Amino acid sequence: MKMSAAKVKMRGKKMRNQPSSVQYVESSTQNGGGGDEGPSSIHPSTKRPTNTNQRGGWVRGHQKDGGGYSREMPKYITAGAFARARAAEVNTMLKAVTKTTGSCHVFGALPKHMRRRAMSHNTKRLPCRLREVANRMREKSLQAGPKKKKEQAKSKSRKARRRHGNLLMEFNRRQRKNVWLETHIWHAKRFHMVKKWGYCLGNRPTYKCYRSCHRAMSSHCLLQDLSYYCCIELQGEENKLLASLSELTSKETGPTFAAALCLSGRRQGSVVVYRAGQYPAQPLGPVTFLWRPRSQDLTNRQLWIWAHPTIKQDLLLELQKVCQCCDAVVHPVVTPAEVFPSLQLEPKPEKNSDGKKITKTKRKLKFKDANGPPAKKVLGDGTRSPNIPVTWKSSSKGIVINDLTMEIVRYRLIGPQSCSVLAETMEAATVCNEINESKPSLWWPEQCRSKNKMNLHQQQTHVFNILKGIFSTGELPSGTVLGLTVDDPRLTLPTKKVKALPCVKHAQEVDEERRELILQGVPELCCQSNLWEQSVRNNVTDNKTSEQELNRMRNEVLVPGSRLSLTPPQGRVPILLVQQPGKQVGNEMSSWGAGWDLLLPKGWGMAFWVPLVYRGVRIGGLNMGVKHSQNKGAPHFPHDYPDCPSGVRFQEEQEAELLAKFKRRPPAKRTNYIKHGCLAPFGCPWQQLSEEWELISREGGEEGRRDCQSTAEADAVMEEMTSCGEIAETKPLSRFIVLRNRKSLRLLSGWCRPTTSKGQKSCRVGELPPLDSSAMTGFLTAHRMSLVWVRLSLLCKGKPELHAMVCVPTAEDLKLLKKKRGSCGPQEPLHRDYFKSRVRRRKKEPKKAAESSWCSDNTQGKESVFSSEPNSITTVDPKSSSSDIILGLWPDPLPSITSHCSRVTLGWVTQGDFSLSAGCGEALGFISVTALLKTLFNQPMEHRGVFLLRNPTSLHYRFAKINIEV
Amino acid sequence: MTDQRTPGMSTVPQTAPVLTDSTSLAVEMDPVEYTLRKRLPRKLPKRRNDVYVNMKTDFRAQLARCQKLLEGGGHREICVHGLGLAINRAINIALQLQASSQGVLQLAANTSTVELVDDLEPEDPDEASEPMTRTRNNSAIHIKVFYPDPQ
Repeated sequence: MKMSAAKVKMRGKKMRNQPSSVQYVESSTQNGGGGDEGPSSIHPSTKRPTNTNQRGGWVRGHQKDGGGYSREMPKYITAGAFARARAAEVNTMLKAVTKTTGSCHVFGALPKHMRRRAMSHNTKRLPCRLREVANRMREKSLQAGPKKKKEQAKSKSRKARRRHGNLLMEFNRRQRKNVWLETHIWHAKRFHMVKKWGYCLGNRPTYKCYRSCHRAMSSHCLLQDLSYYCCIELQGEENKLLASLSELTSKETGPTFAAALCLSGRRQGSVVVYRAGQYPAQPLGPVTFLWRPRSQDLTNRQLWIWAHPTIKQDLLLELQKVCQCCDAVVHPVVTPAEVFPSLQLEPKPEKNSDGKKITKTKRKLKFKDANGPPAKKVLGDGTRSPNIPVTWKSSSKGIVINDLTMEIVRYRLIGPQSCSVLAETMEAATVCNEINESKPSLWWPEQCRSKNKMNLHQQQTHVFNILKGIFSTGELPSGTVLGLTVDDPRLTLPTKKVKALPCVKHAQEVDEERRELILQGVPELCCQSNLWEQSVRNNVTDNKTSEQELNRMRNEVLVPGSRLSLTPPQGRVPILLVQQPGKQVGNEMSSWGAGWDLLLPKGWGMAFWVPLVYRGVRIGGLNMGVKHSQNKGAPHFPHDYPDCPSGVRFQEEQEAELLAKFKRRPPAKRTNYIKHGCLAPFGCPWQQLSEEWELISREGGEEGRRDCQSTAEADAVMEEMTSCGEIAETKPLSRFIVLRNRKSLRLLSGWCRPTTSKGQKSCRVGELPPLDSSAMTGFLTAHRMSLVWVRLSLLCKGKPELHAMVCVPTAEDLKLLKKKRGSCGPQEPLHRDYFKSRVRRRKKEPKKAAESSWCSDNTQGKESVFSSEPNSITTVDPKSSSSDIILGLWPDPLPSITSHCSRVTLGWVTQGDFSLSAGCGEALGFISVTALLKTLFNQPMEHRGVFLLRNPTSLHYRFAKINIEV
Repeated sequence: MTDQRTPGMSTVPQTAPVLTDSTSLAVEMDPVEYTLRKRLPRKLPKRRNDVYVNMKTDFRAQLARCQKLLEGGGHREICVHGLGLAINRAINIALQLQASSQGVLQLAANTSTVELVDDLEPEDPDEASEPMTRTRNNSAIHIKVFYPDPQ
């Protein structure tokens, strides 16, 4: 008879008010004959047994150990004693009946159907007879309550906490670990926030908006805060910069830092960066870059590289290496901490102290804060300690690297009408001629004096005005840059949310200019912006009109609600507009998701955010970013870069997260992935996949399919090889790489027989060498161990999911497809879970050693069976301890991946969903190049490029058309 | 929304000499490989009764859409636009509409020329100084399908 602790506690609570024992107290030594064994007069103890594990008081049902019953019936009964004992029993019974069990609430006495909601709160909901008692109890509890609470709440009153200075202090404390963007509070009220990459970022809105966000992206405008992207500034002579940077990139992957248009500063470029001189191995990740246009008075060129925060450290190290910038400059550039000296003062005491100390120092801090400087809002990177250098200089090359993280706010507007949203939100800065003596340091009045600069400003304004007449963002050349100075957008804030709509005018001369702009892009001169100047940026940030000041001005307006007419002299902001090309690859939906990036000086984030929101844009979080690149068919940064260090890290995190989620389910409700023949439902062992295919191809491609199936043997060979390391035939297998060579990709793409998304119509391909064995071997020797990024669109039903398998259809499958176009696809036969019995046995005998007789049967361990009989045991390592076996998942050393199921596996999907823009299920993922070529080679021409997709939780294969988009 | 999409933005490697109307320097250069990238045709604001026909959506669906506009939508007239390859289809749709209405509907066709923009991106980005942009013309048709006025 075991009771859990909670049960015991509950029982104790119930029995609290009950009479302790039903037993009759034998006061005298009246041990009448053998009457001792009667059920009533058993043990003379009156005490309730203290041990809760024993029975006390009432026990329900028949008890195992015989309970109170005796074995034998008493021989005789003394009438008096018996009667008294019964009387005692009846007494206690009556007492027990009148008392309520359970909670001490008054309404516990009421039957269930008479209880009402919030009875304990409002006693009038009780029947009259109970009210008095309830009132008394309530008072009692009220007296007891606040005492307890007072001990808990040590903080100040809400009013005090919400006071501006204190609130800011609290905010600054909270963003010490994970930096807040400037729009953080706006987001935190509306989004599910996640802590990622050292930032607090909005993941997805709390309201339902998946479809409306997609609609916004494809027909109106979606806004995203991308300020968490890190900007690294390089300054130096052009040829030296280019020479250093060329080590990081390769021309084979497309335009590099040196591309002529980008170098002039008219376009933004994007490039995948590798570790210095390591191409094609060891990529770091994709970056975008922007050159500052050349100007007469500057000999040095300036370059901004925008990178994801996860690769910033690696990239900085690499840049320092190639530029030979090893000496960190400590002081000269104004760090964000220096801008606000008070910032350094207040976080310091807590900075390195652990949790316990924080509570102690708090008192001190408060005290200090009372007469110290008021807390200032953190702008820029608040977490960075002032000792960390942000500038590096090279003495030999004269290159300066500057870390501008959080110095520049970056917003992304996605959608065809982002042009009109921008045009409506912002107005080019008005000229300010008055010379204000009191504030001599403002940058705009000074600029207004120079005639050159005013000319430039007018030209830029003119271009911006033409932009207003452009209906869709995709019409412009991709990556166009436009520098501009605009008025404070808060001044023109509409009173109500409006939807920005384009106004297209038909005028002859405007049409001409617009055509010029569409064809040629923005002239080089107009790409210049004052945002490049650090001094101007700081000036603008420091002199920003506060919200309070603006409200005061609004208050003073004669007609309430009318627009503020006069712009204060500090209300001009230099900005940069960068066109973001949409879908550039592939044949359809071209320039879907094109938009503009808006770069602002720090501190001005909210001033632009709210006016943009008031123009009827949708706001997207991180997950919309993923969907955006998914619809564009582009790999999303940490997710789809398995060969980059941050991509590897991301996959590990994702795997752990999915596994934890899997484990949270009750075991009976978990998917048994072994039965589904899914070896790696949570992660993708890319390395193993490419190694296996490498071995298959090495064993001679002549045998074709037969060969594919015998990978299990290959697996064994491989293991031998890795253990001995003496197979001399070829060099040892290296790490897998992702194919990014443009020419090879184009070749592959042509061989895949590209079609439109559902595979209805084939597209035109240019001249291509035919896919024959010599071309194939040539290609494979050039690109061994490589993966290729592919897009798969399902031919009929089905929605691909994360980590779905891409498989090769057999000849019968293709016949099936030929017979009926809409055919659903084959099924995978159910696999057997051999680990189940082990798990079960372990449960039964927890102490027994893990090695079971079952395992010792095949001590060779490497038993492998061809995939033609899918219900077979594949490699089982006898050493794998059963302790880490989870029901439904393969234990760690995975058997051969390629041949595990009835269809040979080529790769996995990393992003899959129903695509709202294509109207069918679409998946993006990587497959092995070797596998792809071998399969294509064997497939008949009319079915070339048709593959199978299978979700990890399903046994159903679906036909899908593969497309490689370059 | 059946917006006008050009059926195919092919990334066909072409070999220069591509004659561009903006630059003539391509003629002198060695044949450099270019990638042709077509930009979207210029968009104009769309009324509710404008139907842009494309080659991607099913023909019946587009026809049904037009019928719905005329019958259920309460529009007295709709405009069917087709560009390039879709001209044929636009005409078909208009004729089908007319046939199914037993001759009540009338058609008025207009043709026009649309200027399209292509980008030519050099394969080797550092050799050629400028990626080129060229314009070309394509025909378009705008068919007004309407109920004639009762008088």
